[in-house]
Amino acid sequence: MNPTAPAPAPTPVTAPAPAPLRRRRRRGQRRKPVFAIAVTVVFFVLLYLPIAMVVLFSFNSQKSLTVFKGFSLRWYEAFFHDSVLLGSLGMSLEVSLVAMAGSVVLGVALALGLVRNKGRLGAYAGLIMMVPLITPEIVTGVASLLLFKGLGITLDSGTVMIAEVTFSISYVTVILRSRVAALNPEVEEAAMDLGATRWQALRLVTLPALLPAILASAVLIFALVFDDFVLAYFTTGVDPQPLAVRIYSAIRFGVEPTINAVGTLMLAGSITLIGLALAIPRLFGRRGGLDLISGE
Amino acid sequence: MTPTAATPAAETASADPTVPAVRLDHVSKEFNGSHAVRDLDLDIAPGEFFSLLGPSGCGKTTTLRMIGGFADPTEGAVLLSGEDVTALPPNKRNVNTVFQSYALFDHLSVADNIGFGLKRKGVPKPEIRERVGAMIDLVQLGGMAERKPRTLSGGQRQRVALARALVNRPAVLLLDEPLAALDLKLRRQMQVELKQIQREVGITFVFVTHDQDEALTMSDRVAVMNGGRVEQCGTPEDVYERPESRFVAAFMGTSNLVSGVYRDGAVLIEGGPALPVGRRPGIGEGSAVDLSIRPEKIWLSDFEPGMPVVNGVIRETVYSGPTTTYLIELAPGITVAALEQNTARARMEDRWEGGETVELGYDPDHCLVLSH
Repeated sequence: MNPTAPAPAPTPVTAPAPAPLRRRRRRGQRRKPVFAIAVTVVFFVLLYLPIAMVVLFSFNSQKSLTVFKGFSLRWYEAFFHDSVLLGSLGMSLEVSLVAMAGSVVLGVALALGLVRNKGRLGAYAGLIMMVPLITPEIVTGVASLLLFKGLGITLDSGTVMIAEVTFSISYVTVILRSRVAALNPEVEEAAMDLGATRWQALRLVTLPALLPAILASAVLIFALVFDDFVLAYFTTGVDPQPLAVRIYSAIRFGVEPTINAVGTLMLAGSITLIGLALAIPRLFGRRGGLDLISGE
Repeated sequence: MTPTAATPAAETASADPTVPAVRLDHVSKEFNGSHAVRDLDLDIAPGEFFSLLGPSGCGKTTTLRMIGGFADPTEGAVLLSGEDVTALPPNKRNVNTVFQSYALFDHLSVADNIGFGLKRKGVPKPEIRERVGAMIDLVQLGGMAERKPRTLSGGQRQRVALARALVNRPAVLLLDEPLAALDLKLRRQMQVELKQIQREVGITFVFVTHDQDEALTMSDRVAVMNGGRVEQCGTPEDVYERPESRFVAAFMGTSNLVSGVYRDGAVLIEGGPALPVGRRPGIGEGSAVDLSIRPEKIWLSDFEPGMPVVNGVIRETVYSGPTTTYLIELAPGITVAALEQNTARARMEDRWEGGETVELGYDPDHCLVLSH
């Protein structure tokens, strides 16, 4: 899945927009905006039908992927007895956690540095920071692979982690940067005025002020890395493989309904995380969950 | 008042009263080649309420930041109670600051905000609690201890900022336009309160403001700054009644500035009357000068014997409640403002109307004559 995927919710909002216009033109008659409704319905069907099918057939009692015979949890049971898939799940969780921690620490530091370094160095670093966001992921993947091979590094979960951290820093920095810029510099000065060293001021005042944005970006990175395929595919070793890569390998030899169960579980996990990321800023009393994307 | 709230004076009063609490010794500050502050020499006495007054960009905030340790002087030295602190960071200086934006820590409660400095210093917890409690009483924030700053009004946040600085019992408290964000009524009230608190704790206050009313009402001494220099430094009465420069005369309240030529102890206005101002030793005969006199120093009736009196024509009458301002033309294009109090004895029907010719009287001592 590509990185923008966790934010499908805002897009459909634009579809019904013609409705109020039409109403205003035909005053009094109040015709239903049939076309807009139809477009919206088609949009949602195209978007969610395949996902709904995966969820539905994960509960199928038969092996068929076209006929739903009855409800059962046998594919979930199969998954929890599949040591290879479980190994992949474990690796994916491990990679996601490390990538999350690593990219948050480096990304926050980078955001602080970029905002506070007003010189040329900061400007250039800010531009370079954007490069991973616009580079096609496959290019990043191939480049990482060539780098690791060139350096003679054996591909395993470590190389995936390095690649994912590198890739994720930019997201953290983009989210944190505007928050850091919005901080009142007098607050940190006040801490120092009251006897704190620079480091204490950062730890006791600045980081707590950034905490909602830090948590939101951490959750986002976890979700992005967990279901990342392209980068993981190029940088992983043979065994274990990250879950997304393992699923891809599996369906080349025919689709097992177990995959549907795995997909459903991943979906549930992702939804929980994204919901958490959206809820965090609100829990801290800030406005809107939109911060995830814009950092505003 | 609880006894603990009053004790800060004890810690600072031990300092030798003859040693200035703050001394700026030929301090300059350059930013990218331009001078924000130029060769500043100031002594601020212990316990003094000292104001740095000036328009924005005059260097008053930069001066304050150099005392606080947030800006390094390009030249000169900063001394606190006789000790050179020029090279010390803010956390090593015995001063605290009330910031213009208040700069409260939003994630901490009011009590934790106020206790922040004491905690940094390693003051034992029971003592922190006691001193924070006393300070909350002093700034009248009783019952707000556990609230978060975001839930407070502007005036309350201001008090938290003040308490957070004062609780550390600094030798000097720096205040950077602390009342600027408050509305007029609250500002007046806080002016009185700040002054009272300053008297109670006995700490030296260095107060930055661009509001001349504020500086006049609160300060023991005022330094009027312009272009990185101190134009004049003295008591509020000194700088208001006896301005030494055109800038101070114009900046401190309203002043009439009339251009003319000085001759024989009078200022001659082109096409108008000669205004006697008395002998001015420093001014050469026949030199071009500006005469400055405040509107409230011009009399329109009940002249005293020997007072110079000239004629003028009322051009405008501006009534503003307790006072009425008359704009009076002395000569074509030369208008002065005169302020009359609308006291119990003044009757509305006695007010002059536009076009009437009136007599203006003044005391030459109230005239400031500045050569070009």
